[in-house]
Amino acid sequence: MESKKPPPSALVDNHVVPGDVILDLADMTNQTIKLGAGLRQDYDTIQATSAGRLRLSKPNKYWVESSQKRYIPSVEDTVLGIVVDTKPDNFLVDIKGPNFAFLPVLSFEGGTRRNIPKFEIGTLIYARVVKANSIMNPELSCMDASGKAAEFGQLKNGYMFDTSTGLSRMLLSSPTCPLLEALGKKLSFEIAVGLNGRVWVNAPSPSNVIVVSTAIIRSESYTQIQQKSMVENLLVKLS
Amino acid sequence: MAATAMEHDGGVEVVTPGELLGTSSSFVAGHGAYADGRSVRASVTGHRRIVPPSPDSPDKRSTVEVVGHKAHGAVPQPGSVVIARVTKVMARVASADIMCVDSKAVKEKFTGMIRQQDVRATEIDKVDMYQSYRPGDIVRALVLSLGDARAYYLSTAKNELGVVSAQSIAGGMLVPTSWTEMQCELTGQIEQRKVAKVE
Repeated sequence: MESKKPPPSALVDNHVVPGDVILDLADMTNQTIKLGAGLRQDYDTIQATSAGRLRLSKPNKYWVESSQKRYIPSVEDTVLGIVVDTKPDNFLVDIKGPNFAFLPVLSFEGGTRRNIPKFEIGTLIYARVVKANSIMNPELSCMDASGKAAEFGQLKNGYMFDTSTGLSRMLLSSPTCPLLEALGKKLSFEIAVGLNGRVWVNAPSPSNVIVVSTAIIRSESYTQIQQKSMVENLLVKLS
Repeated sequence: MAATAMEHDGGVEVVTPGELLGTSSSFVAGHGAYADGRSVRASVTGHRRIVPPSPDSPDKRSTVEVVGHKAHGAVPQPGSVVIARVTKVMARVASADIMCVDSKAVKEKFTGMIRQQDVRATEIDKVDMYQSYRPGDIVRALVLSLGDARAYYLSTAKNELGVVSAQSIAGGMLVPTSWTEMQCELTGQIEQRKVAKVE
């Protein structure tokens, strides 16, 4: 039997609030629809449970993209965590989620029982979420899928600040957002962005660090054109 | 010396801790009683009951015991099958509150632990606790041992052991479809559990 493509919801890329009906399943048969964050099936309808923009990834994956201070851990996210405790088998890491995450002491490239890293409380770590569900503490790893270190691990020096999750996603979007592109043309700095709403900036001179951080914090909900003009104004004042 | 007044099979007479039940020459101390030199006394509050000696035992004395105290409600023993409700699921172990032992309800709460290696019989190192139990599931388990001070060790590593009843994320009842999957009756979503094969 030929399966038709499900007609996309009329609300895709629009703002939705909790309770909005995204799809009515009564007139669809034999189709698979994947629901991501912020959506719930209520008998024959799909309803939004959080406020944000409805997104569709063809052919059939829907989710609600919202921006908030709190982070809900999800697998394969890269996050910036702060070590809060060390246990024999795990580091306890705060990733701004509902509970602390576990970072196994062996989840580092070439990690064995003999060369366990010694992280103090307060160490900033760039890691990847490996396991995340609603009942257990999330699990992190400082290796990529093939076992290499790949930039994960401790971030030394620099300056870390909090942002909303929406701003983190905007900074990580590809092609590179105009904000970072314009800053990168004039200033030298390195940056690590965590999808949990944390950003780390490091640069040879403190003034570069301050300019970059201020520009990022100010660009919450700026459009691309506004970002470019804001950065240009900032850099003019510098020179 | 046989004391005739005390030898009715009872349940009517209430005894309190320390009360004299008989002499150790005529009675053996059973549940809730202890021998103190030449006398047998009660150690808990309850009703006194006398059990006649079994015909093939060399000791011809009756056993006196004190019944009705909650310490004599059902108590999990190694080898008994219990019904428990899962309270917490963690990476390597799940906690559960034991509610019934061998189809008798318990009078006080017992805690059980199901370790990762006791969830099922095959591929025990690849067990994912999140795909075996969720908080709120009702499971049938076997008591492995008395465990530590905090919890009994339970096992579901048999076909007839595992989740018997569970609720789905949407709030409906889950109906078993295989030994690893259950389906929500409201939304049709499939959820993973270690399911018990109920005859």
